[in-house]
Amino acid sequence: MGAALRIAGKDLRLRVRDRSVLILGIIAPLVLSYIFYLVFGPAATGQGLSLEYGVVDDDRSEISTSFTAVLEGAAADGILELTTFDESAGAASSLDEGEIDAYFHIPSGLGDSVFANQAATIDVVGDVDSPTSTQIAASFAEQFASGVASSQTAVATAAVVSGQEVTPEFIGSLGQDPASAAMSFSFIDETAATKQLDASTFFAAGMAVFFLFFTVQFGVTGLLEEERQGTLARLMAAPIARVSVITGKAILAFILGVVSMAVLVVATTLLLEADWGAPVGVAVLVIAGVLSAVGIMGLVASVAKTPEGAGNLGAIIAVVLGMLGGTFFPIASSGGILANLTYLTPHAWFMLGLAELGSDAPWTAALPAAAAIMVFALVTGGLSYILLRRRLAQ
Amino acid sequence: MSENILAANGLMKSFGDLTAVNGVSFHITEGETYGLLGPNGAGKTTTISMVCGLLTIDSGSVVVAGDEIKTTSTRGRAAIGLVPQDLAIYPDLTGEENLAFFGRLYGMAGEGLGRRVSEVLEVIGLTERKDDLTKEYSGGMQRRLNIGIGLLHQPRLLILDEPTVGVDPQSRNAILESVEELSRAGMAVLYTTHYMEEAERLCDRVAIIDEGVIQAEGTRRELVSMVGEKDRVAISATGNLTQAAEAVRRIEGVTEASASDHHIEILAGNASGLLPALLEGVTSSGASITGVEIREPNLEAVFLHLTGKALRD
Repeated sequence: MGAALRIAGKDLRLRVRDRSVLILGIIAPLVLSYIFYLVFGPAATGQGLSLEYGVVDDDRSEISTSFTAVLEGAAADGILELTTFDESAGAASSLDEGEIDAYFHIPSGLGDSVFANQAATIDVVGDVDSPTSTQIAASFAEQFASGVASSQTAVATAAVVSGQEVTPEFIGSLGQDPASAAMSFSFIDETAATKQLDASTFFAAGMAVFFLFFTVQFGVTGLLEEERQGTLARLMAAPIARVSVITGKAILAFILGVVSMAVLVVATTLLLEADWGAPVGVAVLVIAGVLSAVGIMGLVASVAKTPEGAGNLGAIIAVVLGMLGGTFFPIASSGGILANLTYLTPHAWFMLGLAELGSDAPWTAALPAAAAIMVFALVTGGLSYILLRRRLAQ
Repeated sequence: MSENILAANGLMKSFGDLTAVNGVSFHITEGETYGLLGPNGAGKTTTISMVCGLLTIDSGSVVVAGDEIKTTSTRGRAAIGLVPQDLAIYPDLTGEENLAFFGRLYGMAGEGLGRRVSEVLEVIGLTERKDDLTKEYSGGMQRRLNIGIGLLHQPRLLILDEPTVGVDPQSRNAILESVEELSRAGMAVLYTTHYMEEAERLCDRVAIIDEGVIQAEGTRRELVSMVGEKDRVAISATGNLTQAAEAVRRIEGVTEASASDHHIEILAGNASGLLPALLEGVTSSGASITGVEIREPNLEAVFLHLTGKALRD
């Protein structure tokens, strides 16, 4: 172990002099996380996005009442702020004053049109300066309309089959009340359901784990540099176990990774107000993440022929895993095949582990994700160890 | 009788279908400089790699200072100092840091390490530049440091793999002088080269290696006599050189003598011993001598004789 530590110490000195590890390990992720936060933060995560809506119900039918009830429920849950207006002019005035982002206008006769199986409209009027909030309001209305339309189709089909007219009594006999479609329409608090990180923490953690793989690569590919500059022969001729050379490189990679992550956790907490969660849980996740990065980049070093080749291959793998792992965008909540594939990366588990930690969860909440990350570390680390030993034995 | 520091027996190494080293055996005693002379690709570096434990040996054995060398063991390695053919130093460490790092790998520490590093820096003439990064050194300085690292832990066997390749004449001479000093100090040296003059200058014994096989081994004189090569004497003279050549040809020990425009070319077994008789023979025939040159057969000629090709082929 002494020889491995001496090799790691020598490499650490070289890397500090090199300064590139400082740039890739600390400065780049810090700067990028800040830039991403500024550019994408509120839009990507909803944090800081105001949803201040108004509603004008000129219809006052069963259907319009159910729609406003859903909006009021969302307001009660703190998802949005809702102001009820008696007439459109008041809502428009409030919109002009910037007091609300958008308002829903339910015109008179909407309920009758729906029961008559005719087209009906809910107007959404938004502030030009709040396009996202307006778009979300429009989505609410469309979602509601979609449910109503489904019910209309079902009622119309039943009327044709039975040869009866569509009357409130007939609809009641079917149990297919369009108003119930509105009641089934509800807001989902995504933040609570999937435990997403807030914007600053998301980008800080994403960039930290993304660049971690580049940082760790500095340590692991040192073996190839030793080979190229001829010093590997000297190391192997010395009275030290060959495994010390591999272990020394792994120790350096681990140290670089942990230091880089630790600095980023502290810096983003102080500068970006990132909320990483319970320190012990974060430490567990960081250590597991660093070990997995060492394993994966060790595997890259074991198959590459030159330091440049390892650098290129490592960069490709780091970018692909970073993208797939959701370090730039929360892929896990996007649905589809990517939402499943993302868990084939340690990045996704790292982000999930942080989300599970939240701001007030115990550190043990990070353990399942850390265990998953350790599977990556053990598999890739074991494989790279075998391949590198075989390489040194040739 | 001096102690055997290195004994290599029947070394064999193949890479796929290529047999790089085929049954190489030799030994080196304390204070002896042993040369492996051969062209590029002859098997010198492969042999050295097996001696140092860098390469697994297909068959045969290497014993250094009483310990068998294996890739799987560290036994015996502390007795070896390796100076690889290519520079093996860290460009972003200073000369002193390079030495100290490798010293620690050989178990040196504390004041002993510091003292030894200073000594080696003095020996290789880098004391003044010890705090500079080695990437700022000249090529010759880097070469000297490369050798210094091999010497640092005072090995009993120093292995130099073509240490003068790509070195300027001044640095080359300094390296050769260093090796001569080490040998005088009692260190066993294994020296590979494809420069015949280096082998002749440094080595007590030389093995001529080609295609992975030691073709012949011995002192320079033994090798020369082994292949029957003779000294060549060129006497520059004026007068009747044909008559002078005939007179020389009759001297015992002279194999051949021929006259050209201004020279008499003589082939003899021991030119230095015969020189007085040769000069007497030329002058007695009426010719006037203007110059004499003796060319003893060198290892280049031996190599050519043994392998049918030149060393630099």
